[in-house]
Amino acid sequence: MPHRYAAEQIEQHKKALVDILDTLPSIIVRVGRGGCVDLVNRRFEQFSGVSAGNAMGMRVVALIPQFADQLGKVDLVIDSQAPMEFDKLLCRKGSRLSYYSLEIYPLKSEGAAMAVIRIDDITEHVRIEEIMAHTEKMITVGGLAAGMAHEINNPLGAIMQNAQNIERRVSSDIPANLKAAGEVGVSLELVRAYLEKRGIFEFISHIRTAGVRASNIINNMLHFSRRSEPQVEAVDLSDMLDRTLELVASDYDMKKLYDFRNITLVREYAPGMPPVSMVVQEMEQVFMNILKNAAQALSGSGKEEPSRITLRTCLDHGMAMIEIDDNGPGIDDAIRLRIFEPFFSTKEVGVGTGLGLSVAYAIVTKGHHGTLKVRSKPGQGTCFTIELPVL
Amino acid sequence: MNFSEISILLVDDDEMIRNCICAYLEDEGFLVHQASSGEEALDSIVAMKPTVCISDMRLAGMNGETFIRRAYLLCPETSYMLHTGLDYPLSDELRAIGMTPADVLLKPLHELSTLTRRIIAVVASAGSRTR
Repeated sequence: MPHRYAAEQIEQHKKALVDILDTLPSIIVRVGRGGCVDLVNRRFEQFSGVSAGNAMGMRVVALIPQFADQLGKVDLVIDSQAPMEFDKLLCRKGSRLSYYSLEIYPLKSEGAAMAVIRIDDITEHVRIEEIMAHTEKMITVGGLAAGMAHEINNPLGAIMQNAQNIERRVSSDIPANLKAAGEVGVSLELVRAYLEKRGIFEFISHIRTAGVRASNIINNMLHFSRRSEPQVEAVDLSDMLDRTLELVASDYDMKKLYDFRNITLVREYAPGMPPVSMVVQEMEQVFMNILKNAAQALSGSGKEEPSRITLRTCLDHGMAMIEIDDNGPGIDDAIRLRIFEPFFSTKEVGVGTGLGLSVAYAIVTKGHHGTLKVRSKPGQGTCFTIELPVL
Repeated sequence: MNFSEISILLVDDDEMIRNCICAYLEDEGFLVHQASSGEEALDSIVAMKPTVCISDMRLAGMNGETFIRRAYLLCPETSYMLHTGLDYPLSDELRAIGMTPADVLLKPLHELSTLTRRIIAVVASAGSRTR
């Protein structure tokens, strides 16, 4: 009897232990020297695709080779009795990128010569960190723009306004000009003819245009800085879209890498649209991200047809609808379904963060109570649709 | 409207900006005075009694807002305008002395004729008030 009782007790304890191990969200595996597996939990089975029975006695490196570098330290941990931790290990499973943390603990029981490995999926955690870093970056750009605007507005003003003064001071409409010309004995008429002949009026006009362009860039960048508290404004959509297009056109990457100038922009704005309430710099970011994606897709499309992006606005069931429609290569369903997923990127490492469209999605849906959708036909193009409540 | 009867006091600590706006306004036919700080402008405003006073916001000493509030006490018949780099929400005090958002001119002005148009509008509305 006592034997049977003891056996039952052991069985119960064992079951309780297994229950605990299987309930934990971590991948847990106990290994001996050389990394030979002697216990795994359910998460481990799911992750490696190998059942507990089959895993027994195998080297853990063979089962989860993604972590080979770290698992090679098992013997070191057992010998030194000092745990080791590895943070933010990047693993790609198919097209999905995930971050993991991995810890190896020496087993404390006497003469065990064993270690426990715990692996956690920290993708969500890292994602939040990255979004915060991204936001930080925007704030930095904004702060820089605000500081720069102060320093640069006066020189820019002097450039544009003095160019205007020069134009005016050779004009025959201002009596003081005729008087001064007379005093030095030249004919204003001839001075103008000379300036005309040598293209000087054109140079002056270019100085003014260039100044206006630079000033518009600063002005647009300032939108990133005004964020003391998100300011909801009633905005005319057409104006706002035009301003964003200017901002995108002045973006270095867009010009140099994606040839934005050679994309035909078609504006189909519905007349008489009611104003939309929005946090302007946030929605600008949304449109910028979508337009950047479109330009990237178009630049790599290799299609014969000239590249085109159409911006449409209309009123639909009391919502303002904005469509950004490109005639690029389009995307297939597998990508379309995951396009707003953070870290999902079809671009090479370093080209895209995989954050742009997910941030856009968050801004539209959470920040503005709107919707963001995408439809696409491979070979024909991609269309993003944003719906926002009108005032 | 005879521009030579309209006097303008321009307050800006950037000499480059003062000179270029003065040149423009003089070419338009206005009578223009300059000051490089709010303090300097306060010293001369009573004697000058300008029709319009245009002040920069960021000045070395007192800022444009403080300057206009003090100048108004000395010279309430002058119309005041702000010329500023950043979108500047008009304070209640400045609204109380009759300034409107249209009196806040954003730097850099792409077109100086904006200035002439605003001066004419301000002078016209001041004229209709006194009549």
